[in-house]
Order: sequence, then structure tokens, then C-alpha cells
Amino acid sequence: MKRRSFLRTSALASTAAFTPLFLQGMSTPPRLRSREGKILIVLQLSGGNDGLNTIIPYGNDIYYQQRPVLGIKPADVLKLNETQGLHPALAPLQKCYDAGELTVINSVGYPNPDRSHFRSMDIWHTGSPATENWSTGWIGRYLDHHCSGKPPYHALEVDDGLSLALKGEQRNGFAMSNAQRLRQAVDNRYLKSLDRGHVTHSDGNLGYLYKTLTQTQDAAGYLFEQSRTHRSQVSYPSNAFGNDLKQIAELITANTATNIYYASLGGFDTHAGQAGRQHRLLQQFAEGVAALVKDLKANRLFDDVLIMTFSEFGRRLQQNGSGGTDHGTANNVLMIGGNLRQKGFYNPAPDLTTLDNGDLIYQIDFRQCYANVIDNWLAGDAQQVLGGRFGGVRVV
Amino acid sequence: MHDVHHLYRRAGFGLSPDEWKQRKQWSRQQAIDDLFREAKVAQPLPEGNASGDTEGMMSATAQAERRKEERKRVIQLNADWVMRMGNPQESALLERMSLFWHGHFACEAKFSLLATRQLNTLRKHALGNFRDLLLGIARDPAMIRYLNNQQNRKNAPNENFAREVMELFTVGRGHYTERDVKEAARAFTGWSSDLKGNFVFRRFAHDYGEKTVLGKTGNLTGEDVIDLLLQQEATATFICRKIYRHFVNDTVDEGRIAELAASFRASNYDIGQLMRRLFSSDWFYAAGNVGTRIKSPVELLAGLIRQLGVQRFAENGLIGLQRALGQLLFRPPNVAGWPGGRAWIDNSTLLLRLNLGGAFLRSGELDFTLAPELEQAQKQQLRRLGVELNATPLISLANQPDNLANYTALGTYLLAAPLPPLNATTRRILDGKTTDPVLLITGILTLPEYQLC
Repeated sequence: MKRRSFLRTSALASTAAFTPLFLQGMSTPPRLRSREGKILIVLQLSGGNDGLNTIIPYGNDIYYQQRPVLGIKPADVLKLNETQGLHPALAPLQKCYDAGELTVINSVGYPNPDRSHFRSMDIWHTGSPATENWSTGWIGRYLDHHCSGKPPYHALEVDDGLSLALKGEQRNGFAMSNAQRLRQAVDNRYLKSLDRGHVTHSDGNLGYLYKTLTQTQDAAGYLFEQSRTHRSQVSYPSNAFGNDLKQIAELITANTATNIYYASLGGFDTHAGQAGRQHRLLQQFAEGVAALVKDLKANRLFDDVLIMTFSEFGRRLQQNGSGGTDHGTANNVLMIGGNLRQKGFYNPAPDLTTLDNGDLIYQIDFRQCYANVIDNWLAGDAQQVLGGRFGGVRVV
Repeated sequence: MHDVHHLYRRAGFGLSPDEWKQRKQWSRQQAIDDLFREAKVAQPLPEGNASGDTEGMMSATAQAERRKEERKRVIQLNADWVMRMGNPQESALLERMSLFWHGHFACEAKFSLLATRQLNTLRKHALGNFRDLLLGIARDPAMIRYLNNQQNRKNAPNENFAREVMELFTVGRGHYTERDVKEAARAFTGWSSDLKGNFVFRRFAHDYGEKTVLGKTGNLTGEDVIDLLLQQEATATFICRKIYRHFVNDTVDEGRIAELAASFRASNYDIGQLMRRLFSSDWFYAAGNVGTRIKSPVELLAGLIRQLGVQRFAENGLIGLQRALGQLLFRPPNVAGWPGGRAWIDNSTLLLRLNLGGAFLRSGELDFTLAPELEQAQKQQLRRLGVELNATPLISLANQPDNLANYTALGTYLLAAPLPPLNATTRRILDGKTTDPVLLITGILTLPEYQLC
């Protein structure tokens, strides 16, 4: 009886539905939120993209000796310099290279390379040494150190799930595959009418859940409005990756308060039948990125944007017996943007003579790439975020 | 809040509606005895007819086929396990302890036979002696492969297992030196497994020389190193802290942990005795420890299965949910296991969690793509949960003429945290003349409170 009357009373009280201050996502009203600072777009190529058949070392005979079937013939390579060129499917990106808007960093990896997709992806996401297991991502820690007071979508992953890279100790990035779908998910009538008056600061985990939900609802409304502000005039390839990039471009153009975007393209694990499959994937990739670049340029935003691509590992130099390649180690990282300090090739083509068990030996630690981006593009402190000094690379 | 229900939420995966009706009058002691009685009579899992790792002798195509087949089998093993957690006929405590140890001895298993054997090792010793468990894991073929101990040979030691056994399985960081790791690795040389998935000690790969580990010098074997680790006070503290975080509270109370650790050592590492002590302590039932922990994804799923009477769950749906929520069994993020606590929650997992109960009750598709790393076609497939359930026992808890009383009864059963004040939607539903209890249940399962246990 007591409980019932309690419920009745509080039911009345809750008509005043108020949200305690500590639960509120942002104190700034949505229309006043806008971007400050530069934009980073991370593109993940999942499955281990064959870097040697992406940026092709056509000037090196060893490449053709090791890949009698899979090697891309010199006549088909889109030559960038005397030693390396683009896979023909990357033709849409040649213009970027010619305009000094694409830099290739060769032989990026880390000591004691791990050939498991899972583990190596973890290492790239966390930025940990191969010998340690970390549970936060490099972007997540950037948010922890540098983004207090920023909205949760300061770093936005275009997917339904949030990758480890965007998870910090205190703060997380935000995941959304599609602004409209996200809004539908929070539009649930039960969630919409949740009462918050009973949640207090001292409510530990309960407070944390309500706070995350409140922020998510707030973000869903904001991102939905932002996604409708600007319609792209550029035609993107009609596939999931193209849609993701289009959404990113539209949010950027609408001056959304997001500085880091993250999207993925999967399917690069080409143990068999690599030629056709990788061609299709690289084509999706290149057409999507070229459309994005065109879109950003049309809106005079390209100078503010840096696109960085990576894959969890490259593939073996020698082709296997099933028309594919097996898991390898070092790989190239591409940096694309309107404001690159070093244009073209950052370092020499991979050494195909000195190998470790048939695999490339890394020349650049992937954390050096992160450090360059954190220090020189995102105005952060890489040493804090990465837990060590990884200087040396200056592409931006 | 209700003591016995709290006990079952933490020592198991909650109570089914029928169990709740029968057991809510039980005393703590009665419930604890029953949990341990059930665990005692549980049987090992059948090994099935899968073979070990015979890939070495296969062609590349046959290997790829084999791996695909094995992936399916491991998925089946995983789905069976979660269904057992949700099944009132199984030993809740044993399943819960195995889940805890799976997180502690985190290991990815790619072959179903090895996964089954490892799980059987965890089940066999889950409430037994910690030395037996640790030794069982050190000799476990799945773990040996995962931590590269097959490559740990006299002339080329591999330190992976030796490092993790110290850092993650026993004493924890700060209680050993790099030299201890190097020397211990030598003691574990030759601990390997054969192609049939059995432990083998390869004499010719073992380093019989003198080693110094944790201050002790001699011709140490792997067993000696394990005993040396068990002599360290830090081991009991490390294990008890982890148990406390899993079963009691994310925020540790070092005083309680010291008490538990002292008794754990005094009992010569009797895990069952430790758990009994914990479940019998008054502080285990203190308000601050009830309804305050964030459920892990697997706990959440097992709890829903139990409460909603889920009879069948498409393996793909169950696996897809585990992936999307961040806890895929037999595939921990790394050897450190799942970080847990608030790390389970981000905007996407929270929305999925809050919408999950409703999706179960509709038994339809979920409006989320469940696995970011998969390709589009696979994602679509995973959205079908394939849930078949019997909610009649749950609905029968709402057997009073008064809607509000029914809401309260359902809320008291479903939530570990206090039922929050009524919100506008719930009030509208309660004000209706004929109220479908499923709407009330959906409303309760959508509350953030439901994520706590």
C-alpha cells in the first residue's frame, strides 16, 4: 500500500518532468553548436588490404617474381614515379596525387607484428605495443585528454557499433550509421517519456546510464537536424561505403560540431580469388573518396580536412596457391587532404629484398602517423595520448 | 530489496518467474545451499565428434572448409552455453563461475574440441581448488596455442604464457620482474599439445637447467613456478579483487578484499569455500551492492532468456547480439579479458540494450546492424533474432485486477534497482481499461534501471 501511494505521488510530481543538470548532454542550444578546428576522417580497410597491390612497386622485379599471377602488369599500373604506381581501380585518386593532395607513407607497421586480424586491429586501434593489451583507443584517449566540454559526437563513427579506437577511459566517441535510423531508435515512446527526476549525482552507474542516454537523445536530435541542413550536389557511388562518405560530407558542410569522423570498408581478406575482389573493393574506395574530395572542394572545405586510411596489416609478398595472398605485416598509409605539408611519397618504396619470414619489415611505426595527426592536425599532445614519443613523421 | 533474488542475480543469472514464485520465501542459507548442490551434480559437456587440429596434413582448400566448419561449431558451443545460463534446469552457479573464469583465463578458441575441453576444465574446477584450475589451464591446449607455448622451446623460449600467467592470472603487475618472466618461460618450455588436442610434455624441448624465479633458485619445472606463484600473497589478493569486482561491486573495498584473500589462502585456495563466504556475508546484501552493477552483455542476454522464457534463439541472432554488445564468448578482445563495468556502455550499445527487451517480445528483427566489422549482407542476416519465447509465466505475475499493482509486481520481479516513478507513457498505459501486460513489461525492460543487477 505504501509503495502504491508513493508511486502515485511521484507520478504526479513527474509531470513537471525536469532533467537534472548533471544529466544534460550540452548546455549550448543545438543551433549554436558549430565546428571549431580541423577535421580528421579515418578510413579503415578491414580484413588486411594488400598494400603491395594498392600502391604497386612496379619498378621492382622481385614483385613480379613473387607474384607471377597476381602482379599488376606495368602497362596497367597508373605510374606515380619510377618505382611505384596506383592499382588501376584507384584511377579516381590519380588527380589527387597530381594535385599534391595525396601522400603515401610506405612500410608502416610495428615491432613484433601479429598476423591475427583481431589482435592486429586491436593494436592499431589502441596504439599499444604488440606486447601489451590496452583497453582504450587512441582517439578515445585523445577525447579524454583534449575534449572535455565537447559534445559526445566530437568524434563520430559512421556505423551502428563503436570501434575500440573511439573508446576512452572517461569519454567515448559516438556511433551512428544513419541519422534517421538513430532518431527512430530514440523515438521509441518509452524512451521519449523516461523520467529523470529521480536520478541524482550520487547514483553512480545509474546516473551514468541516464547521462549516456540523455546525451544520445540530444545528439540524435541534433545530428538528425544537421543531416537535413545540406544536401550534397555530388554523386556518390551507390553502395554502403559511398553512403557513409556522403553522410560525412553533408554533416561537415552543415558545419556540424564534429572534428573526427570514422568509417570502414570491409572484405579485404583476400586469401583466394584476390584479383577481382580487391579490384571491386579498391574501386568502391576510390570512387567514394574521390566524390568526397570533390564535394568538400565544392564547398571550400577541403583545406580543413585530412583523410587517413589504414588496414590492420598488409599481405605477404609471395602470392599463395589459391590466387590470393596470406596475412602479412607492414602496409602503406594514405593521407589525403588539401593542406598537406609533404606531398607525394613520404618515404622510399618498400624493401622487397630484406624480409622477415617473407614479410615486409616496417620502416615507420604506425604511432608516428598518429602522433603527426594528433600534434599537428588536431592540436593535441601525442605524447600524452600515445604514452610515449613517436616523432619524426611530418605529413601535415 | 530482496536478498534471495539479489543472490541469484549475482551467483547466477536471476530467477525465472516460476523460480521466483517458489523461492522468494527462501532464506539466504537455503538458496546458497541449493546453488552449491546443483553445481555439484552438473556433468561435463560432451566432446562431440570434432577432431583436434589436423590441419597440418590438409590442402589449403580443405583447411579453409575445415575452419569454416569449426567456426560454426564454436558458435554452436557458444549459443548452447548462453542458453544453459538462461535455463532453470541447469546449474546457475556453475555456469556463472565458468563465465567468470572464462573472463579471467581469457582465451580465443578456434577449434570446437579445444573450446569444449577448455570449458570442461573451467567447469570441473570452477568451485574447486585454484591450484588445480591454474594447472589445468596451463596444460590446456587452447590456452597453450593462444599464448604460443607450443613455440616455447629450450633453444628459443617464448615468454607469452609466462608473462600472462603472472600479469593476468595470478600475482598481477608490480609483483614480478622481467627476469622472473624470462626464467619462468624456461620452466614452461616443452609444455605443448598434440594434433588431437591433448597436452603433451616434450622432454627434448624442455630446459632442465637452473633457473631463478621469484627469488627461488633450482631446476624449476612449470609446476614449481605455479606453486611459487601460489605462495605469493599477491595471488589471493589479485583473484579476490577480481571476484569482488565481478560478483559484488565495480568499486572495490580493499578491506573486504584483504579479508577474503586471507581466508582464501587459509583454505589453501578453495574457491567454493571463498564463494560461500562471500555469498553469506551481510555486506554482500548491503544496499550499495544491490542493483548497482552494470550487467555484462552475456548476463543481460541470459537474464532475458530466463525471465521471458526464451525457448529457442537462432544462433546467428545470439552471436550477432554478443558481437554488437561487445562480449562474444570464446573471443575475448585479448588475454586481459573484457574490461567490464562502464566500458560496456557507449551510445550504440546502450540504445541496443534498451531496445532489446521490446525486440525479444516482438520476436522480430532488430533495427540495428549488429556487427560493424562484417560486410553488409552478413549484417542484414544477423538482424533476425529468431527468438521464440513463452511469456505466460511472466505475464502470470500480473494477476491482480489493479493495473498499478501489476506494474509494481512486474517491476519488483524484473528490476534489481528500485522501480522509478511512473512516466507519461506508463501512466497512459495504466489508465487504459484493458491493459496488455506485455506493454508494461516492455516499458520496464526499456528502463535504464533494467541494465543494472
